[in-house]
Amino acid sequence: MQPFALNYARPARELVITTPYVYDSGLQLNVLADGRVAARDHALLREVGTTTSTAGSKTHFDD
Amino acid sequence: MTVLILTCEEDVTADMVVVHLHGSGVPVVRVDPADLTAGVSLSGEYVHGRFRGHLSAGGRLVSIGGLRSVWVRRPGTPAGRAAQPSPWLTEEAAQALYGMLRGSDARWMNHPDAARQARHKPWQLRLAQRCGLPVPATVITTFPRAAREFAERFPDLVVKPVSGAHPQDPPRAVPTSRVAPDADFTAVAFGPTLLQRRIAKRADIRLTAVGERLLAARKAADTGAEPVEVDVRFAPPGAPWEPVDVPPRIADCVRTYLREAELAYGAFDFAEDADGTWWFLECNQSGQFGFVEVETGQPIARAVAEWLARPVPGETVEAGRTPTTAR
Repeated sequence: MQPFALNYARPARELVITTPYVYDSGLQLNVLADGRVAARDHALLREVGTTTSTAGSKTHFDD
Repeated sequence: MTVLILTCEEDVTADMVVVHLHGSGVPVVRVDPADLTAGVSLSGEYVHGRFRGHLSAGGRLVSIGGLRSVWVRRPGTPAGRAAQPSPWLTEEAAQALYGMLRGSDARWMNHPDAARQARHKPWQLRLAQRCGLPVPATVITTFPRAAREFAERFPDLVVKPVSGAHPQDPPRAVPTSRVAPDADFTAVAFGPTLLQRRIAKRADIRLTAVGERLLAARKAADTGAEPVEVDVRFAPPGAPWEPVDVPPRIADCVRTYLREAELAYGAFDFAEDADGTWWFLECNQSGQFGFVEVETGQPIARAVAEWLARPVPGETVEAGRTPTTAR
């Protein structure tokens, strides 16, 4: 039998997020295609959801 | 002196802090330990009673003795992207990197030892109690009978993972979930089970602590009906996060918690009940803060940057200038 808590498990959502920015090792920041720093665009960050608490994430369990 | 940030490239929340560090002229080196041997290099000498170590990443070279602070944000598995990764190589890389960094005088957010201890949620509950924070009645047990008796005393219960981790084989999520009063607790025998009295919450509270600075945000709960989804991470978006003042007594308790846990950073989750009491749920020592700042405008990233950039002993700072080392 499986542990009690797993009776409440659900399939993890496979989040495939396509981010509109790429890492610039020179700046040590992620930048948008037009060269702007992604972290300065809060509306964009809200939209892509990459700063949210990601429960169930494989890599980030400290959320 | 330099701020070292250990995180992955896609960590745009770390970017929010890097922006502030750049703005204040504080040198930063950002390293993902996963890139060790494939983009990140290190070297350290222990000769004639002295240590000299260096890290290199992205064309930057930094002396380990010249580190002001280390921010452990979202580091990858050491050497995880090496040409031939292996558990042995990961251990070697971890020992080399963290072992050298531990020998530095840099301040940590958070020190690996403190972080490891702080991840234990049963330990968190006990520390919160000792610090005077209200903690919902909780049992962690492998005895089905103990679970049944607890449910008789506290019929409105939730269950959640003891570790906060989620199974990966296959990937599943285990949100905090309500437990029916007539639940069959037999399976409690097959794994430690954490049952907790459900707090009928009128809001979720995320309190982000950065050093002595406390920034709290509140998200009103949907009180229209008996909630099915009690875990805010899995609930529909609903009300926005809004800044809220921290009650002085809670602030005192949280600062005691941080001091006892030796944490420079912590993201505390509370459930606010109808009386306005903040019930401690957990403290994530590296909890996410970007979404709170994005929604509330609270200057959390700036607070983190300021903590990381604090002058070290012997360093002088002129108004509006970057700290300089006197030695």
